[in-house]
Amino acid sequence: MELLKLLSTNEIIAQVLGFLILLTLLRVFAWKRVLGVLDKRKERIAQEFKKIEETRADIEKLKTDYNAKLGSIEEAAKDKMHAASLESKIILEDARKAAHIQAQGIIDNAKAGVKYELAKAKDELKNEIIDLTLKATENVIKEKLNQEGDKKLVREFLEGVDKL
Amino acid sequence: MVEAHQTQSELPNLVSFLAEAVGKSTHLGEQVILWQNVIFSLLIVFIISLIAYLASRKPKMIPGKLQNAIELVVGGLDDFVCGILGKQGRRYTPFIGTLFIYILFMNLSGIIPFLKSPTASWSTTLGLAFCVFVYVQYAAFKELGFLGYLDHMLGKPRGILAFSVFIPLMMFILHIVSELVRPLSLSLRLRSNIWGDDLLLAVLAGFGPAGIPLLVFSMLLAILAAVVQAVVFSLLTTIYFSLVLTHEEV
Repeated sequence: MELLKLLSTNEIIAQVLGFLILLTLLRVFAWKRVLGVLDKRKERIAQEFKKIEETRADIEKLKTDYNAKLGSIEEAAKDKMHAASLESKIILEDARKAAHIQAQGIIDNAKAGVKYELAKAKDELKNEIIDLTLKATENVIKEKLNQEGDKKLVREFLEGVDKL
Repeated sequence: MVEAHQTQSELPNLVSFLAEAVGKSTHLGEQVILWQNVIFSLLIVFIISLIAYLASRKPKMIPGKLQNAIELVVGGLDDFVCGILGKQGRRYTPFIGTLFIYILFMNLSGIIPFLKSPTASWSTTLGLAFCVFVYVQYAAFKELGFLGYLDHMLGKPRGILAFSVFIPLMMFILHIVSELVRPLSLSLRLRSNIWGDDLLLAVLAGFGPAGIPLLVFSMLLAILAAVVQAVVFSLLTTIYFSLVLTHEEV
């Protein structure tokens, strides 16, 4: 009972009212606004993190694509190099064949020229020999043989020479 | 009532000076002394509201020093309440948070020269405990409904023989008593601790210069007690909420 003397109904009511006033004021100024700001910031940070994760995923994807493209480019370069090598071999082979054919033509021409020159030389030599033989024969047997007889002898002689 | 206040040994404060100025024996002097706790409470209400207003009048995403400090307190209290009550705790954060800040400021005001702890008065703490009692019962009715609230008050287990009538009835009475005792225990615990601290400081201050080391030490203890008592009051309030709100899950 002594303890109850410490109580004052008016003071209790005043304290309740004071607390309710403070609660109302803080609900408006502190709790609603500050918790709102905290929630917004939390949400913003979460969104930023989400964006960072998305960007990271995009970068990973780009990296993968880049590596894939790089791989395909290397593959294409290898293919092109291989194709160029094959082409160069073909060109080289063609050039070699053409050179061979050309060389063969030159050789054939040279052979034909030599043959022709040889035949020509033979004919000239024949004529020279005939002339020399006629002159020699004329000198030796000047008046014993006529011209027709001489030529006949010479031809027979030359045929003999050809057979040699 | 005036006698009750005068029998407490306490340091002089601004209101007691005012009462002396107008004359303690006069009606106005008596009234000033009688309402001194309310006067200090309203002063603290004004200070807290002013700080809250200044800190949150233009809330920014990148806060200044004051907003940062308020956010720290508000965020910490929200985490504290939601840590116990779960997501639904957000609805009760303003009430419990305001209670904590108000009690803390009232407790600490006794350490500041020429101020007084309104929480050293049982009327103050009982008023706050009454608010807690009413809001807890309101929250229980709102969340559980009338039948759910009755079910909570009847306790468990129920169903067979004695458990169908007798024990639920006893549990009902026990629950009512426990609900009614809570505001008393809450208010008396807070009032007695703070009153004891204030009394100790007043006695040590009476020792003069020789008592200064003990006074400083006691002030540090009083600061600790002020914080601890504010936390205890808020924690118990949160637990009372959790007992009625999470009843079905328990």
